[in-house]
Formats: sequence, C-alpha cells, structure tokens
Amino acid sequence: MENTRSAKVTTPSEREIVITRAFDAPRTVVFDAWTKAEHVAQWWDPGRAPLAVCEIDLRPNGAFRFVNRGPEGMRHPFTGVYREILAPARLVFTTRISPSGAESVGTLVFSEHGGRTTLTMTIACQSMADRDALLKMRIDVGTSRTLDNLDEYLGHQERQR
Amino acid sequence: MAINKQVEALSRAFAALADPTRRAILARLASGDADVSELMKPFALSQPTISKHLKVLERAGLVARGRDAQRRPRTLVAAPLKSIDDWLESYRRFWERKFASLDHYLKDMQKQEKSRGRPRR
Repeated sequence: MENTRSAKVTTPSEREIVITRAFDAPRTVVFDAWTKAEHVAQWWDPGRAPLAVCEIDLRPNGAFRFVNRGPEGMRHPFTGVYREILAPARLVFTTRISPSGAESVGTLVFSEHGGRTTLTMTIACQSMADRDALLKMRIDVGTSRTLDNLDEYLGHQERQR
Repeated sequence: MAINKQVEALSRAFAALADPTRRAILARLASGDADVSELMKPFALSQPTISKHLKVLERAGLVARGRDAQRRPRTLVAAPLKSIDDWLESYRRFWERKFASLDHYLKDMQKQEKSRGRPRR
C-alpha cells in the first residue's frame, strides 16, 4: 500500500522537477487541503505541528505564506504568489525560494480516478543551475530535519496511548 | 571546492540525461557495449548526430570508450547515475514526509465531513 502510493520524482527536462503522488481522497478534499489556511496549517509541517503562520489569499496575484514552528534557523518559510486557480483541478503559483532568488513556477494538477486523487506537481525553474540548487537545498533542509523526525515519532507514541 | 566539482559533475549528468535520444542511447548501452555504427541502426540518426550525443554523454562521465581501438565501442558508466539517484531520492524523501502528513490529515478531513453529513463531492 505504502509503496504504490509513495512519491515519484523525475527530471523530464533541464529546468523541471516533476513529483507525482496518489492520495486516498477525492480531489475536492485534496484541493481544499492545499488551498485553505485552516487545513494547510495542520499538515504542512512533516512533524504535524500546526504552522506558526499560515496565510492564504486564494486569488490570482494573491500571496501565501507558510511558516513552521521551531527555533530560529529551523524555520523554513514557504512564500509565493498564486497565478492560476481552477478548483479542484489546477493550482499555479510562483515562488522565489531558490538561493539565486530567481522565480520558479509550481503547477499542481489534481486528477481523480475512483475516488482517489493523483497529484502531479511540476516545478519549473529559470535555469538548470536554479533547478539543481533547489534539489540540493532540499537535501540540506532534509538533513537538518532530524529533530522533526523525532517529533513525529513522539507524536505517534502519544497517539498510540 | 570538492563539493562544487561534484555539483558541476551532477549538473552535466542531468543535462546529458535531459535529452530522450541520449537516454535511449544509455538504455541501449546498458544491455551491452556498442560502437557508433551499431548505435546508428536502432535510432535512425546520422553518424555525426550520434557522435554529438556520445560526446555529451562522455563529457558527463556517463559513457566511456572501450579498449578495442578499431571498433571504438562505447560502454556505460553507472557511477554518475547513482549520484543523481541519491540526489533525487533525498528530494523525494523530503516531499514524501510532507505527503505522509497530508495522508493523515486527509483522513481526518474526510471523517469530519462524514460526521457533518456533508456529501463527499
């Protein structure tokens, strides 16, 4: 089960990263989970700690800002601007999270089959250097997140009691 | 310095892999060494085109020339592919952790909707 569902990452061109992942929910629910602040705040942090800041202005050129809790230096704000909103099928936004500050475009496509949703996330960078920097940055973030792992683990223990 | 070199090498490998013909050439070489004329057949490409692709693959360290000086067969070098794999795998894990959290939350959302008796679509 976990295996068939796990995320796939490909680099179909020099500037792009594509991530696909299936979810056990209709796409209206998955789309809401990505676009309503009260929902995003509850899952964006992998440790499932509610976000410290979660602002969503869901309209073309509206901004969003997600900031997780945690000590200074462990916070990873994710900010950007919505460009295209077509509920519950498609969401396009731009961010400047790459180290060069260049803009990248994120396109989320939600497709539903038999009550399950496949999310296809395309991240298009301005150059191959930006794309590679983004991949590398995520590794750095990933390794600095061991504390989050512990958090998640403790959370599971709590729930099992 | 060493890290920069590593990143450069990875970038070259990524760039080499971005082209579908070059990926197909690598797939062909994975099943055994081949020289330029052997590579021309399945791809219906001219000799200069194949040579150009091979040069890119060689610069990326994905392909090496075999010992036979006459045939000059090309052979696949798997090491850079492994580094790319590791890189993408870390990235995948980063998102997978977020998605696992989303899985949990989607369950909660659907439970709440059901208990409120709202239709699911």
